[in-house]
Amino acid sequence: MQDALVPIKVDAAHGELIQLVSFNLDQEEYGVDVLKVREIIRMPIVTRVPNTPNYVEGVINLRGKVIPIISMRKKFSLTEAENDKQTRIMVMDVEGELMGFIVDAVSEVIRISGSEIQPSPAVVSGGIDQECIAGVINQAERLLVLLKLEMMFSRDEKKFFTGM
Amino acid sequence: MPPIDCEDQELLEGFLAETTELLEKLDDDLITLEKSSDDTELMNRIFRSIHTIKGASSFLGFDLLVKVAHKTEDVLNRLRKRELVVTPEIMDVILEATDLVKLLVADIKAGEIQERETEGTIAKLLPFLTENAGVAQPPAAGATPTEPVATAATEQPQPTPVVETSSAAPSTPPATASVPVPAPQPAANVAPKKIPAPPKPSDAKGDDLSDSSTVRVDVKRLDDLMNQVGELVLERNRMIQINQDLQQGDANRPDFQEEFGKLTKRMSFVTSELQMQVLKMRMIPVEKVFKKFPRIVRSMSRDLGKEVDLQIFGEETELDRSVVDEIGDPLIHLIRNAMDHGLESPDERMAAGKSRVGTLVLAAVHEGNQIIISIKDDGRGIDTERVGRKAVEKGLLSEDQLAAMSQREMFDLIFLPGFSTKEKATDLSGRGVGMDVVKTNIKKLNGLIEIKSEKGQGSEFILRLPLTLAIIQSLLVEVEGEVYSIPLSSVLETIRVDQRKFHMIGGQEVLKLRDMVLPLIRLQKVFNVQQRYERDDICYVVVVGAADKRMGLVVTRLVGQQEVAIKSLGNYLANIPGIAGSTILGDGRVTLIVDPVGMIEGNE
Repeated sequence: MQDALVPIKVDAAHGELIQLVSFNLDQEEYGVDVLKVREIIRMPIVTRVPNTPNYVEGVINLRGKVIPIISMRKKFSLTEAENDKQTRIMVMDVEGELMGFIVDAVSEVIRISGSEIQPSPAVVSGGIDQECIAGVINQAERLLVLLKLEMMFSRDEKKFFTGM
Repeated sequence: MPPIDCEDQELLEGFLAETTELLEKLDDDLITLEKSSDDTELMNRIFRSIHTIKGASSFLGFDLLVKVAHKTEDVLNRLRKRELVVTPEIMDVILEATDLVKLLVADIKAGEIQERETEGTIAKLLPFLTENAGVAQPPAAGATPTEPVATAATEQPQPTPVVETSSAAPSTPPATASVPVPAPQPAANVAPKKIPAPPKPSDAKGDDLSDSSTVRVDVKRLDDLMNQVGELVLERNRMIQINQDLQQGDANRPDFQEEFGKLTKRMSFVTSELQMQVLKMRMIPVEKVFKKFPRIVRSMSRDLGKEVDLQIFGEETELDRSVVDEIGDPLIHLIRNAMDHGLESPDERMAAGKSRVGTLVLAAVHEGNQIIISIKDDGRGIDTERVGRKAVEKGLLSEDQLAAMSQREMFDLIFLPGFSTKEKATDLSGRGVGMDVVKTNIKKLNGLIEIKSEKGQGSEFILRLPLTLAIIQSLLVEVEGEVYSIPLSSVLETIRVDQRKFHMIGGQEVLKLRDMVLPLIRLQKVFNVQQRYERDDICYVVVVGAADKRMGLVVTRLVGQQEVAIKSLGNYLANIPGIAGSTILGDGRVTLIVDPVGMIEGNE
């Protein structure tokens, strides 16, 4: 997080300003709406929960509240990596429920205007389900994949979660 | 349909809370009155209750309600003045009228004023007013003799405690906004249509009246709570101070450790006090459920032509409201069962050499952190042979299975869904649903049910329920390095055994425990825990029970017993088989709570 906030020129004609939290996952950069992110924490002790999909790492105690932890890498079928000093849990609000997502590193908060978001090309990165990609942000040096949290879990997955 | 124009939601809520409370009490009082009709104080109280209801509803413009309440009040007034004598017939009518009032109040609560047939009930009340016509002409509502009560009644809805209404608000549907609303021609709409008659007391509608979304808390308890919180704040300040000292390097002071130790002790003291207080506030006497039973028993005994003496003990026993809300239904079913199947008719009883009047004892008592409720009758008892035969007839089990059954297992047959010894379903029983409901609900509460019965002597149903569902005593166990928590209320015993003593029966591991064959579940397998230790022959078996079933959970090690607060796993992980929830241990780690009930069911 040592990088300063990258200021981006905003042209009023280019639509409203959106703030994103960007994070890294297997060489790629992703972004989610800053309003969805509640906090970013280091890896605590995770309690495994049996009989859940493999990407559910378990649950943690977030100041007295028990929340599920999802491994983004496993969710997107990326190669697994050891947790290191950069590993973070992003606690996010997914349809009213708090959930923690393990990411490789959280880099910064960036501002973009809505018009910079382009529809995602047919094939983006490897295993990510197309549904949860809201678009791609193409800036001079970087390519950012914008995630739509509500679409993170397919209908079947939700069914598993909320009652088989 | 006439619309209710109720501008003031708060007023309406106050009215509902008040009326509901009064009605609950009324039933009980009426039954008592039948037994001791000379009790003037009681008589007056009943009169006042119905008068208050009448006053408040007329204030709010619920005309149907006023009409019924008014006539009932008139009859009660005559009883009060001793112009009439309390007879079962009068009581029947008054009770019917009370039921109708309940139904109407339930309608208001649901936000839908329905057209109800009130004429029938009112017509039944009228004869008691017209005999000795001279005195009987009821005065108009305003001119009622008890003027002070009348004023009190109209005023009552307003001073609703804020606590109550605010907490009720979210749960009350946007009812009044969309309520179909009263018309100028209110009283005229009692067309003699075919409309559901007043409900039987046992109908669910009446039960819905008791609302559990609001709590009335004794002000004293609230003050105590405030005191405790005040102390907690002081201790917190002290802690901040100590932390500052520590930062500044004062930690080497000789008395620092002692200071800190003291603080910890005080903190833990205040916290447990606080926990007790809050728990107490959630506690309500089981009376809330029990008090509707005299009424049910009375009407059933009249319907069935049986004579019953209902004795209630321990109604002051307190338990958590979450539990109280859940045990109403099972208890009603058990009482119906006892009345219908257990107790014999007076003639049969005489023939069997018993007294004409059957006894039904309903008792509640605390035992440790459990509450034990027993329903005992001195009727004919469970005829296991007949039960077994019926079960085979209904295809619920085979002859061979039956032959292999113990007495105990035979008793348990009555809990099977669809089981009934009745040839024909009646209003009261015979559909084979009731006892299944009992079992399901008790299981849901993590409770156990036990049956004692002797042919010809009567039967007893014993329910063991946890006092609360929010904080539980639990047994911490370790499974290959992972710690799980098992609700102590389901744990019957723990045994240290050699795994070589396990047997296999039809692919199921079992353990011979005294005279019982105990099916086993390895938590390591169901929870897919990676084996971490060298295989050790010695392990522990935690015997758990749910309702009438027993089962052994195989674990590596027992860790200890701890009181834990249940935390939900959230919507996303709400339905993991075998897991009931989670809790946070002293070290901040999350531990999962095993759901023995679900596990036993899953294994069936």
